[in-house]
Amino acid sequence: MTHLKKSHLLIGVGLVWITLSRIFQGNQTLELATSENTSFTSSVGDAAASIRGNRTKSAAFIYFFNPIRAAITGFVEIIRSIISVPSGNSIIPVIGWFGVVAIVAFTVYATSRLRTAILAVSLLLACGALGMWQFTMDTLAMTLASVLLSLLVGIPVGIWAGRSDRVLKILTPFLDLAQILPTLVYLAPLALFFLIGTASATIATMVYSIPIAIRITAHAIRNLNQSPIEAALSMGSTPTQTLTKVQLPMAKQMIILGINQTVMAALSFVVIAALIGAPGLGKPVVDALIIRNVGQGFVAGFAVVFVAILLDRSTSAAAKAQESFIPLTSQQIRRGRIKVGLSGLLAIASIFASRSVLSLAVWPGSINISQQVEDVTNHATKWITTNLYIFTVGFKDFISNWVLNPLETLLAFSPWFVTLSAIVFIAAVIGGMRVAMLATGLLTLIVLSGLWHEAMITLTQTIVATLLTMAIGITLGIWVGRSSSAEKVLRPFLDAGQTLPAFVYLIPMLGLFGPTRFTAIATGIVYSIPVVVKIVSEGIRSVPIAMIEAATVAGSTVRQIITKVQLPAAKRSILLATNQGMIFVLAVVVIGGFVGSGGLGYLVILGGSKPEMQGKGLVAGFAILLLGVTIDRIAQASARRT
Amino acid sequence: MVEEQRSASASSASAGRPPAVSVRGLWKVYGPNPLSIVGSPDATLSRSELRAKTGCTAAVSDVSFDVAPGEVFVVMGLSGSGKSTLIRCLTRLVEPTAGEVFLDGEDISKATPQRLRELRRQHFSMVFQHFGLLPHRKVIDNIAYPLEINGMKKAERHARANEVIELVGLHGYSHAFPEQLSGGMQQRVGLARALAVDPQVLFLDEPFSALDPLIRRDMQQEVIRLHRELGKTMVFITHDLSEAVKVGDRIAIMRDGAVVQIGTPEELVALPIDDYVANFVRDIAKSHVLTLKYLARPAQSDEDMDGPELAANMIIRDAAEIILQTHKPVRVSENGKFLGIVSSEDVLRLISGVA
Repeated sequence: MTHLKKSHLLIGVGLVWITLSRIFQGNQTLELATSENTSFTSSVGDAAASIRGNRTKSAAFIYFFNPIRAAITGFVEIIRSIISVPSGNSIIPVIGWFGVVAIVAFTVYATSRLRTAILAVSLLLACGALGMWQFTMDTLAMTLASVLLSLLVGIPVGIWAGRSDRVLKILTPFLDLAQILPTLVYLAPLALFFLIGTASATIATMVYSIPIAIRITAHAIRNLNQSPIEAALSMGSTPTQTLTKVQLPMAKQMIILGINQTVMAALSFVVIAALIGAPGLGKPVVDALIIRNVGQGFVAGFAVVFVAILLDRSTSAAAKAQESFIPLTSQQIRRGRIKVGLSGLLAIASIFASRSVLSLAVWPGSINISQQVEDVTNHATKWITTNLYIFTVGFKDFISNWVLNPLETLLAFSPWFVTLSAIVFIAAVIGGMRVAMLATGLLTLIVLSGLWHEAMITLTQTIVATLLTMAIGITLGIWVGRSSSAEKVLRPFLDAGQTLPAFVYLIPMLGLFGPTRFTAIATGIVYSIPVVVKIVSEGIRSVPIAMIEAATVAGSTVRQIITKVQLPAAKRSILLATNQGMIFVLAVVVIGGFVGSGGLGYLVILGGSKPEMQGKGLVAGFAILLLGVTIDRIAQASARRT
Repeated sequence: MVEEQRSASASSASAGRPPAVSVRGLWKVYGPNPLSIVGSPDATLSRSELRAKTGCTAAVSDVSFDVAPGEVFVVMGLSGSGKSTLIRCLTRLVEPTAGEVFLDGEDISKATPQRLRELRRQHFSMVFQHFGLLPHRKVIDNIAYPLEINGMKKAERHARANEVIELVGLHGYSHAFPEQLSGGMQQRVGLARALAVDPQVLFLDEPFSALDPLIRRDMQQEVIRLHRELGKTMVFITHDLSEAVKVGDRIAIMRDGAVVQIGTPEELVALPIDDYVANFVRDIAKSHVLTLKYLARPAQSDEDMDGPELAANMIIRDAAEIILQTHKPVRVSENGKFLGIVSSEDVLRLISGVA
């Protein structure tokens, strides 16, 4: 096997696969009608139903799940009653909209700069003007509650993992799994135990964002300059003194950056958690997607984007403010204190005003431009789909006919054992024996779950979206990696793209491509390009300058430098980017179940809405997880082997 | 003046006082089953052979030496020779695999974590190559840090910190932050912090290697001055032989984890134990290190014997002016005993490297 080149082997596998697929086309595909249950999925459904039935009887519920649900619901409701829903026997929240705007302005101003505060206020007001005030407040309340609870767990555990190799070793598999797990998969199992509603949504959000907080905190503690820590130990500091007086102050900025990431993760999850009853902006987005009203979707989507920018800008500005340990001069400190004091007083006054003046308490209904936004976006989409038909539908048809359909035939309409063996062979060639065995195990489980055909549909869409993502992402990545002016231009878009919830990308794509599987693919591409560009450009940029200089002096053309120096040197980054891209794409493609992409994602969503399909939905969620791990292991192994 | 100090402490070393630091059979082996290497025949293998055979690396192998109270003991070696690991074993920042380290007679390799912290807080302190300052604290709070963790009240520790700030020439910088200071000033903070607890022993791990040559020279003078004023015992790690010669009373030369030779700069230059040491000390200006004793030779019949008399322990560089001004050879004697004569020609030959 060693004397054969990897690429030749892969081509061989491909040819055999295509041939066998042609011969046995349509046989043994394990296809299952959407509404059809296997004995396995229906027994899972029965089990789920019995769990639900035992909610008031079983000890696990009475002493564990129900108290947690009550506590978390209570906590979230307190926050909601402050800014969002009527509190007690009043008809308004504790703080009206004007007060909330004032608090946000004050907090952002006190932790960063005036400019960021103005931006934050404008974004909030825009959400109000879109008629989304209450939804926005719910989203903020949910995000705040989930972030507080996540940090309460994540930061201490992260510190622990930062200081103990053993703890990190134990946590790593879970942290890795959490990175692979598509958001959609979390929802149904949690709803099973904590009911549909705020508690499930908050817990699901926590499960999603705690690993991020742990990871970054541990990383922050581990990657400190070790010299001051060694010095502190040499002076006889106890472990606690080293932590509180040396490590934490030094890691502060990085930990705040971790908070920023946690907030953004929580926000994107809170939006999607509308599927299990989270109050907030996710709800109008879901409603619009269900009735395929792009304009209405845009209104809610804009509000999500505004909240995302608001949270990202204000938390990252707070992190930036920690960059230097050097404080300002005493005069600057004094002036700063006066400013903060005055604006604090102003904020308090505003809060009182918002409690006594009705128009400052409840967002005035007359200020509402949602209808206009809806009309404009609906017109714009209509114009694009009629006039740029050739680009949208042309592109869609081209990809569908030439890439999507042939690949789908190959993967999903070959006999299952042919596809399975082909994937295992490919895993063996690019990842080695161990990965091939793991893939065999995981894929067999998918076969046993009865959802093989649907899984292959999802896999097809994932692969196609990843191919397109990589084609665009690598090109952009090379460009950004080589040119700092390109970086300057694209950086804001890359940053923004990474912070937006995947859900909102569905809206414009639905407008462009209608309810088809291609919409899911396009969303996946748009969602994952930023992360791919980022990893690839970092890889290109980290190629030692000496290598480039040597190649230039030797007389290489730009093209030669790219293809013969930079790309080979950045190969590992590109493989890593492919891995990340695939995981991101998978997460979005399954959400695309909403807009007609079929596959496992659709089954998960269907399971959430139809009781008789619940078992199948849960199994589909598990199959997504298996598929994700398979993809990740194969891609990781190929990156490791270079 | 430095030389006076040097000879004073060297003589006190020989005066039979118990050593301030005493290291016996110290080993640090990295790799699987490190204890099996200690004292085994494998330990005599070269580094690459040892790694190939056992998978272990002996960073420090069988090191023993004594440091007299008030002495500046320099450990000198190229990178990878194990000197940084050695100094970390002495302070137990790295746990030694085997051997004993006595500090004022107490075996610190057996100290409990509690006792070790006490020793670190009160008996010895360390200066680091990359300073190890806390970036989020002002100079004064960096210096007061060891006092703070010892539970000293704020006013008291700031008073003490201010004393050391004056001592190391940081006057006016107490409210600056480390990143506002140059490398040399940062290392002054490192020195001040190490001195704040008034330790008996100071460990310096390549303290000036990260500094520019000119600043490095200033800082070397600073250490010499502080040593003269405070008389602290110092263990000083360096890879720079001229630095070793400048600050050290005695120098231990390390290679591949083992000590090759220990001696005064003069002994190393005059009597290198092997080619490795000889190669090392070749670029040292002999006249700066050797004393007249080294040059003294019997007079030839045609030479004048009535030149001035000089002490045998006088450094040649310092004697050179007298010798070159007198037109007769000088007579060298040690404790009243005549050793021989040194002519101006002898001195010139030594300086020009012909001898």
